[in-house]
Amino acid sequence: MEDTFSIVKEMIAKKLEIEPASIQLNSNLTDIGLDSLDTFDIIFEAEDKFGIKIPNDQVNVVTISDVVNLFDRLLQEKAKVSL
Amino acid sequence: MSTAVLRRVVITGIGVVSPQGNTPVEFFNNLLAGNSGVSRIKASFVDALETKIAAQADFDGTQYFIKQQLALLDRVSQFALYCAEQAIQDAHLVLSEVEPSRVGCYMGTGMGGASATEDGYDRLFKQKATRLKPFTVLMAMNGAAASQIAMQYHLQGPNLTFTTACSSSAIAIGEAVRQIQHGYCDVMIAGGTEALLTFGTIKAWEALRTLAKEDELNLAHSCKPFSANRTGLVLGEGAAVFVLEELTYAQARGAKIYAEVSGYGTTNDSTHITQPSVDGQARAMQAALNNANLVPHQIGYINAHGTGTQLNDATETAAIKQVFGEHANSLSISSTKSMHGHLMGAAGAVELVATTLALVNNQLPPTINLHEPDPMCDLDYVANQFKNVDNLQHAMSNSFAFGGTSGVLILSKVNNRSAF
Repeated sequence: MEDTFSIVKEMIAKKLEIEPASIQLNSNLTDIGLDSLDTFDIIFEAEDKFGIKIPNDQVNVVTISDVVNLFDRLLQEKAKVSL
Repeated sequence: MSTAVLRRVVITGIGVVSPQGNTPVEFFNNLLAGNSGVSRIKASFVDALETKIAAQADFDGTQYFIKQQLALLDRVSQFALYCAEQAIQDAHLVLSEVEPSRVGCYMGTGMGGASATEDGYDRLFKQKATRLKPFTVLMAMNGAAASQIAMQYHLQGPNLTFTTACSSSAIAIGEAVRQIQHGYCDVMIAGGTEALLTFGTIKAWEALRTLAKEDELNLAHSCKPFSANRTGLVLGEGAAVFVLEELTYAQARGAKIYAEVSGYGTTNDSTHITQPSVDGQARAMQAALNNANLVPHQIGYINAHGTGTQLNDATETAAIKQVFGEHANSLSISSTKSMHGHLMGAAGAVELVATTLALVNNQLPPTINLHEPDPMCDLDYVANQFKNVDNLQHAMSNSFAFGGTSGVLILSKVNNRSAF
């Protein structure tokens, strides 16, 4: 969880050219400056980075913690599959 | 014929990205000096090309846009936004003072976001990727450039993108003029943009066998419009955007006025997908003259389509003779494509920059590389040296195209036009 959060923070900070520290778990994506397209871009990058595939019906994320939870859940599912 | 009094439209701002530099002054001075923008293509894929020359613009988007913007902007939209900003600044136009719904944007482009399209195919077919970057569609779509301009400047009027191959931006400007003439808008941002120097696009052009052979002595001199030894066109990239305004609106705000867009004609050859037609081109020029209420002998200069292909230049010459009769022999005609190459969807707009500055400065840019007379091309093409003229009043810019859609624009000095 903490690791995923750090990675997500880094990705968004890099994209928006803002300080990672300014991104909190409860931050709203729109408030940070991510619109729906930016979010798709982050998801695209995350798919590569984590080796996961995010289904279309699960991309409705609102806060950073939504994003982190989504990635974590898919990472766990992936781990189960590879066991 | 309609008897309605049309509103008059003037050019008050110009922006350009070209192989001759990225300001109108630099562009025009290089044209007057006869400086070619044609060179060896600077790209990793150049060795795999048969034709290794093009007219590239020296333009680095990272100087003008932040990373986040660039992620959504194909080179073609970068050109367009840069030109729009330059034109709006040049016009000293404060868009917040204009009702947003009375300002529109019309652009022309042939290939749209060619790099984004090609990157996508490259990933899928060559790198065997299973998915594409999320912004591929938004960068590649032909309407992206005009939409980006509208978003940047909050332009809520009509926003259209014209794609009629090599006449796209002449059509965009002509149709934009009509939006103002007919009262739908007071200001239009109009022009064209093209950034198609990608591997696949150049290969496709090679296959049409219309590209110029490299000049053996100096590859910068490979494009030779109206010369008997011409071998074809040279592909180029760039953009131009104009601020067009209703005359009294521009006068009321004390705007600097370059010229009036006094005539526009568009027709289709309706004959052949590539072969130009004398009658078709002549009809377009005549339509523009009629629209401007001018007679042939009033035109002093034509910026020709002049691609440098055998067929175009002979056809255009015959069409000019058909329209202008005896006066064809006293006209000055030049093809600036000899220097900036063929900018395809941006050609009409970029050449209208040359035509505008020719009219304003009474200086006609030359057709360079014209050393071998062709009996089929026997008019005055301002060969190799620019020409000073005495008070040029009206100038025409020709754009013809694959697909047969011609766009002809006429510019006039404002002081010498009576209201009609």
